[in-house]
Formats: sequence, structure tokens, C-alpha cells
Amino acid sequence: MKLGFVRTLLLIAALLVACPLFAAEQKSFKIGVITELSGDLVTGGNITKRGYDLWAQEVNAKGGIDIKGTKYPVKLVYADAQSNPAAGAAAAERLITQEKVDFILGPYSSGVTLAVAPVVDKYKIPMITGSAESPLIWRNKFKYTFGTIPPINFTGATSIKTLLEMKPTPKSIAIIGSNDAFSKATAEAYKGAAEAAKLKIVKFSIVPSGQDMTPLLSAVRSMKPDIIAFGGHDEEHVKFVKALRQIGYTPKALLMHCGITDKAFTDAVGKDGDQIFGTTCWTGTAKTKSKILWPNAAAYAAASQKAFGNPGDYTQGGCSAAGIAFQVALQKIGAKPGMDEAMRAKLVKALEEVDVQTFYGRVKFATAGEYYHANVGLDPLTVQIQKGKIMTVGPKASVEAAAQYPMKEWKSR
Amino acid sequence: MNALNSRTGLLALLAVALLVVPAVVSDTFVLRVMTEAIMWVGLAIAFDVIAGYTGYLNFGHGAFFGIGAYTIGILMMRAELPFWVALPAGGLAAGITALIAGIPTLRLKGAYFAIATWALSRAIQQLALNMEMTGGPDGMRLTAFLNPQFFYYLMLITVGGTFVILWYLLERAPFGLKLKAIREDEEGAKALGLNPTKLKMQAFILSALPTGILGGIYAYWITFIDPSSTLGDMVSDQAVVMVVFGGMGTLFGPAIGALLIFAFKTLFWAYLSDFQLLYLIILGALIAISVIFIPNGLWGTIMRRKKADKIRPERVIEAGVPQEEGN
Amino acid sequence: MELLPQALADGVMLGGIYITIAIAFSLTYGVMHVIDFAVGEWIMFGAFTGYYLNKWTGLDPFLFLPVIFVAYFGVGYLIQPVIHRVLSGTKGNPFLMGLVFTFGLAIMFKGLALTVFGYYSNSIPSMFSEGAFNFDVFGAAVTIPTVRLVGLAYALAITAVLHYMLKKTNFGLGVRALAQHKDAAGLMGVNSRRTGSYVYGIYVGISAMTGVLLGCILSIGAQMGNEYTIFAFFVVVLAGMGYLAGVPWAALLLGLVQSIFMIYFNPSHTLLAVFVILYLILLISPRGLFGKGV
Repeated sequence: MKLGFVRTLLLIAALLVACPLFAAEQKSFKIGVITELSGDLVTGGNITKRGYDLWAQEVNAKGGIDIKGTKYPVKLVYADAQSNPAAGAAAAERLITQEKVDFILGPYSSGVTLAVAPVVDKYKIPMITGSAESPLIWRNKFKYTFGTIPPINFTGATSIKTLLEMKPTPKSIAIIGSNDAFSKATAEAYKGAAEAAKLKIVKFSIVPSGQDMTPLLSAVRSMKPDIIAFGGHDEEHVKFVKALRQIGYTPKALLMHCGITDKAFTDAVGKDGDQIFGTTCWTGTAKTKSKILWPNAAAYAAASQKAFGNPGDYTQGGCSAAGIAFQVALQKIGAKPGMDEAMRAKLVKALEEVDVQTFYGRVKFATAGEYYHANVGLDPLTVQIQKGKIMTVGPKASVEAAAQYPMKEWKSR
Repeated sequence: MNALNSRTGLLALLAVALLVVPAVVSDTFVLRVMTEAIMWVGLAIAFDVIAGYTGYLNFGHGAFFGIGAYTIGILMMRAELPFWVALPAGGLAAGITALIAGIPTLRLKGAYFAIATWALSRAIQQLALNMEMTGGPDGMRLTAFLNPQFFYYLMLITVGGTFVILWYLLERAPFGLKLKAIREDEEGAKALGLNPTKLKMQAFILSALPTGILGGIYAYWITFIDPSSTLGDMVSDQAVVMVVFGGMGTLFGPAIGALLIFAFKTLFWAYLSDFQLLYLIILGALIAISVIFIPNGLWGTIMRRKKADKIRPERVIEAGVPQEEGN
Repeated sequence: MELLPQALADGVMLGGIYITIAIAFSLTYGVMHVIDFAVGEWIMFGAFTGYYLNKWTGLDPFLFLPVIFVAYFGVGYLIQPVIHRVLSGTKGNPFLMGLVFTFGLAIMFKGLALTVFGYYSNSIPSMFSEGAFNFDVFGAAVTIPTVRLVGLAYALAITAVLHYMLKKTNFGLGVRALAQHKDAAGLMGVNSRRTGSYVYGIYVGISAMTGVLLGCILSIGAQMGNEYTIFAFFVVVLAGMGYLAGVPWAALLLGLVQSIFMIYFNPSHTLLAVFVILYLILLISPRGLFGKGV
């Protein structure tokens, strides 16, 4: 049913392997992790946990972070934000003042990040979130907060561009988004891109979360848009696809976002998931090359598959990449565990200077502008589910398979 | 009289201890936890005014909290008013909402009142999700003012003040008895010459005012508010649990219930965070079991025992024996 | 205007779903005077049971409905005495106690579900999931998905069965007597304990079956219960608590409101409209649409 036990066992095994290193009385970097381990966002929070765990596992398997010849293992201390900003802020305070962590790996959601960021700024503890990416975070220009995933308004336009290259050229689009921060931002990013591309937007609707969208989709069907774009969360993705199937309407293209790259989605919708497009900034087959921890995306996906039975999606990857960013910055300044305020300020500076190729792609944080401290090094990708696998279909430089357009009717699958 | 003096004395001691805490405790995390604990005590006792004393279960109590929070958010960030102006406005907004909503809603009884208030609070949440002024689903960020001592004292004074005022109104003044009369038999209360409509409204507003203020403090303290965290069911649900667990129709009951449930939740969260899901199971079981075995809540059960103790036959006989020194 | 027939059809289908959630719940309230906060969780457990049975055997989940009903009837039957005890205490406010008790159960069930089933959403496949009925109404195309029509049929069937049971059987007579006046019913020879257990068992069984249905039409997830609980409450209150005949109408009303709003107005205000309408109706007619609530 669930791979939680397997994962825990593997983690224990990995830690046992790393144990002798601890026995050697070496200091280790104490890293606080704030994420949603309970509450509404537990699904996403656990994805981030996998990403952070996998990074720590891999680093410790190699002995730890190599600082000027000495290897320091990493120790993750988790605190649950309970999908609630107040708990997130309390978690930050606890990790900083009681656990005395060196730095922090951040939450899944933007809401919690927005409550935590002022706290880490106050105590001057650097934080990288491997998941939260709302433009609202970066606009506030928090000095000590960074993010490895670019905001959706940075990546959204790509898929519209890719779809416009299909033949026959799509002329119309319907855009629907769930009324939560991320999904709404996704819908608005698609809207902006559609307007710029002079696509006819037949409908733009934001709907309450978790509701049955059948009536709306019936209305959309009557307008016969070529593309239907949807932003939502995992439960809504499943319902959306089922609703389209039930009313018997197959658009020429169905565009969602990165949520479709999670294996759980294809498990839930089966064949109906085929040919759905998504926007992401990383897949397990991306042609990345790196000298740090995992030589390429495939190696990471394999490691994740082995540890969790899941090759990992872009959120999980972003979290592991966050760990790598810290790794690189720490090595640059020669930091040791138990950093003082001055050292941590140096760490922030080092993070701003990070420009490294990882399994995830290029990690480079912007130091000015509306994407302040967000990762602008990645190139957005358009993906499509083909026979249950995620294939990159755009932009041209990263194509792995030709996009299948238009979609095959539900009935004939 | 003796009991009152000793209890007042204890309370005074507690008040002094609480006031001194920040000077003694430098751990900001502990301060934060205590600040939140105090907040929940305030929310629970405010809720009890309408639920426990008056017998009208307000399922949408959290809406007052959210209205207070958003009022502060909007006034401070959009209208650029200072906190000291915005905060009372937050309480006022909650009170006015209670007034307007109360006129039609308090006519309903029991389950209907509960669900109507729930529908109303959900409607308010939907409003916040759809308005530009509130930031919609993105929520609002307030300018950060991170001073743990400030917020600790603010919460303490607000909740302490609320407690004292409610104590006077509900336990000393006839108001509390009148509310209880409505709770026990509304028709009968009318026959006694009470005006239930007016009294219920007063109780409703009285429950809303401190809740709105607490919501406002919360907004400034946490610096980020959004519809799911401040206008969701969380505040309402926790208030119900804390009040029922502690003992309805008293002030100490909800206070103790709030402290215990919050302590349990926080300890679990801090030290057993790997087992957060287990927390849900244990909490649910705890609630269910306490309803079966201590339906009057902890405090209520303790109070009843004390009363029962006092009228034991042996004591009656003892009391009859003349107490002469050096007999 | 050409969308109106489809909007109405969608609204009716949605209403069908609401009937399935609320009808048995209304019965329970009428008889036991308890608002079962755990209704959504019973639905959730039924859904997951259907999901796993389908996964392990490959058989269509609709074939399992009788099995699931019987199994969950048993569960409800066994739990009811505890609820009864909570409700018949002389201390405290029984209505509130029942509510908080079931609230505790709901939290516990949700925690259990998250632990055992995980947090991902899923779907139950069924032979009815394919296909839809397409027809023309005055030139406007209307599509009704088969699985939703099955849902409506199920809703109406359950309503009819419950109606028959209540009006035409001796057991039903006992139930109605119990709902009206517990003590007098007892004097007339109605075993309130046993009848209450049967009623609660029936309610849990129906809710579990509903879960399977909803898993086919919509989706399943460990946290799905909450939304269904809210709508069950709303439908039942709108219908008039304990007034079963009102449930189909209230359910249809809510379904139509949602559907029409989504199509003709700003969809993001759909839920706002639902809650405001519910609230307003309660104010105008405090005991439900027909004034026949308990």
C-alpha cells in the first residue's frame, strides 16, 4: 500500500552505513528542515522530505561535505509546519534557538515560507526552499531566503510556446485554475502567455478548490477550445481528467503543470493520463551533467527509485538541489559546523555567487529584480505523458520525443 | 469566603509569575509557545461565552478571528494605519459582524444555529478568497515586527483583561446567571421577564470582540495571513474541543482545556514530529473518550467532585459537634 | 441559453450525489438526534474498501456494494451503543456531546486513514466509468455520463427503499415512533437500543456504499471526508433535520445552484453562493425548506 516502511527501512540502513562516521567523533552540520508533515499539504511536504532525505543520504554515503579535506556529515532535524504558517514560524524558532541548526531547508508551500522568512532573517540563518516559488516571496526580497525552483510566471510561457508549434496550430484556449495560491498563479501565467501569443481565450475561470468541475467543463466543451489548461492539486487533477472523460470531451491538448509528473497521478488515472502536457523545470531524463553527487538526472532518478520506489518529480529534485547549493556554498567559504553570524552572512554571499551544474540543471540565484534569490538558472521544459512515461517535448533543444497532438479520444483508449 | 480568597490569591500569584516570565526566560521559542498558549486560552473562554454559558454552539467562531486578522492586515498594509489604531478596529469589526449576523441567526436553535454559523463562516472565507483587497488565496503579508516580548505581553494583557472582564460579567454580575437561564430553558427565562434576544446578542458580541482582537494580534505577530489559516475551520474546531474537554459554562474549564490540549499538541509536535499522524489518532480518541467519561469536562468534573465532597454525611455530623478548645 | 439543458442536467446529477451523502444521515439525526461528524469518514472508508477490493480482485466495484453494506452495517451496529451512551448521559448537553464525540471519531478515522492509506488521491475504475448518454434537447446538446446517472439511480433507489422501510414495515413504524418520542415508543414495545443500532448500522452501510460510488465518479483520498461532511450537514439542515422527504429537494436545489452558478456566473463565487443561499434560506425558514425539521 504505502512505501513509507520501505523508505524508512532503507533510510535506517543508509544511516547505519554512515554510522561509523559518526562514531569517529566528527562534528556534523546540523540542518533544520521545515516542511508540511501533516495537515492539508502533507502530500507535498512528504515530497520535499524525500528530496532532502535523499540528498542527506547521498552526502553522508560519501562521508559528508568535504570542507578543505575534512568531511562533515549532515544531520537533518525535522520540524513540522503542519501546513500552517504559525506552526512554520514556531518551527523555525525552535530549530534555530533550541536545536541551534546551522542553516535551514525550507517548506513546501509559499504560505509557510512567507511566515518563516522574516524569522530566519531576524536570526540571520540562511534558508533555501526546494519547493516554494511564489513570486510573492521573491518580491519581498528576504535576504536570507533562497529558492531552487523558479516561479511559475518564469516557466509558464514555455508550454504555450511549445503547443503553438503543433500542427494544425491551436487557435483557442480555455484556462481554469483552482482558487489556491499556486494553482491561481499557474492559470495566470498561462493566461499571460496566451495573451502574448494572441491565442483566443474562450474562458478564464478560477474555481473553488476541491469542487466538481463538470458543469464548468460542459460549458467549456460547447466553446470547443483547442487547448484546455488547468492548474490544481493532485486531487483536482484526477477529478478534472475524470470529468472530461465523463462528459466525453477530448480537447486537442490538455495542459496541466508539474503536478502530472508525480507518479501518483499516472497511477490514479491510468491510460487517461496519456498525452497530457505539463510544464516543469526538470525530469528524470533531463540531459544534465554534474560533478556533484549525481552525474546526471538519470542517476538521481535511479537513486530515488531505489530509495522510494518513485523516480522523483521536479519538487523532490529541487529539494535535493537545495542541499547541493548549500554544499557548494559551504565548500567555497570553508565553513565548519557551528557557524557564527559572520560566517552565515558569508554563506549568504556565497549562495548569491553560486553558479553550478547539478543533476537538476544549473543553479544560479538571482541577486536583483523580481526573482530575487530565486533560481533563474533552469530552463523550463514542456513534458507530455506518453504511455505512462514523462517525455520532454519542448523546447527544441531538450526534445526527447515528438509531441503527440491532437489527443486521442477517451473512448478509443 | 476562604475559598475565594485562596483562589484569588493563587490567581494573583499566577498573574505575577506570568508577567515576570520574559525577564526570566530568554528562550524565544518558549516565549512563542507561551504566547500561543495564552492566545488559545483567550479564544476558548471567548467561545464559551456563547457556547457554554448561553448554550448556542457557534460553529463559525473562527470567522471572528479571521475578520480581526484581516482587518488589521488591510488597515495596516493598504490604509497604512498604525497597529494601535488597527487593533481595536479589528475587534470592532468582529463585534459588528456578530451584531449583523446575530440578528437573524440567533433566532435559530441548536443544530440549525450551529450549521448556519458554519455556513456563514465558510461564506466569509470564500469572500476573502475572492476579494482583491484581501489578496485572495495568496493571503497578505504584514511588515515584520518580530519582538517576542512585545507579543507575549500583548497577548497576556489582552487575554488577562478578557478573563477579568468575563469573570466579572459572568460570575459576579447577574449577566452570567441570565445567560445560563437562557441555556437551561429559554421559554422559561422569558416568563421570568428576561429578554433572551437582547441577552443572546450581548453574549454573541461579547464572544466576538476579544476573538477579533486576538486575530489582529495574531496577524501582526505571524506576519502572514491567508484564508486557509485564519478563516478555516481550525480555530473553530480547536475552540470546540478545548471548551468541551475543559468544561463548558465556566471560565476555568476552557482555560484549562486550552492549556492542556495545546500543551499536548505542542509537545507532540516538538518531540514526536515523526509521528504527527499518530497525533491525530490519539487526539481523536482522547476527545471521544473524554466525552464518554468526563462529559462535564475536566474542570467541570473536578468542580462536581468538590461539591459532592462537601456534602458527605460524616462532615455533617462533624459539623454538628461543638468545637470547644481545651474541652 | 443553449447551455441551460446541460446546466440543469449537471445540476441534477450533482444533486444526486448530494442525496447519497445526506439521506441516511438525515435518518440518523431524526432517530438518534445526533449529528454524526464522522459521516464523511464513513464515506471515505467505504471508498477505500471498494478501491482495494477492486484492486485485489479486478471485479467491478459495484458488485461489492452489498458486501460493503453488510460489513459496514456491522461496524455501525457495534458502535452505536457507545454513541447511545454518550447521548443519554444526564450531564452536559447531549446534542453537543454527540457532536463532539463523533467529531473525535472523525479525527481519529482521518488519522488512521492517512497512516494506512497514505495521502495520495486515487480513483476507482468501473464498467460504468466509460460512456455517456448524449441527446438533444431543443437543439442543445446534453451529455449525461453513465456513471453519474448510475449515481442518481442509486440515490433514488436508496431513497425509495428507505421510504418503503419507514412507511410500510413494522420496523419502520418503530423507527418513526422512536424518532417522534423515545419514551412513548419504548412503552409501545419498541426496543430503542436495538432499533437505534439498526438505524445507525443502516446509515453507516449506506454511507460506505456511497463512498464506493463517489470513488468511481470523483476521486478518493484519506482527507476527502471533510467536504462531504459539510455538504451532508448543509443538505440535511436545508431539508429540515430528520425530514427525509425534504432531502432530495434540498440536494437538488444545492446541485442546481452550484451548476447554474458555475456556468452562468463567476465560477469562483460558486461556493460563496451556495453558503449564502443556505444561510438565507435558514433565516427565512428556520426549520428547513419545508419547515418540517425537528
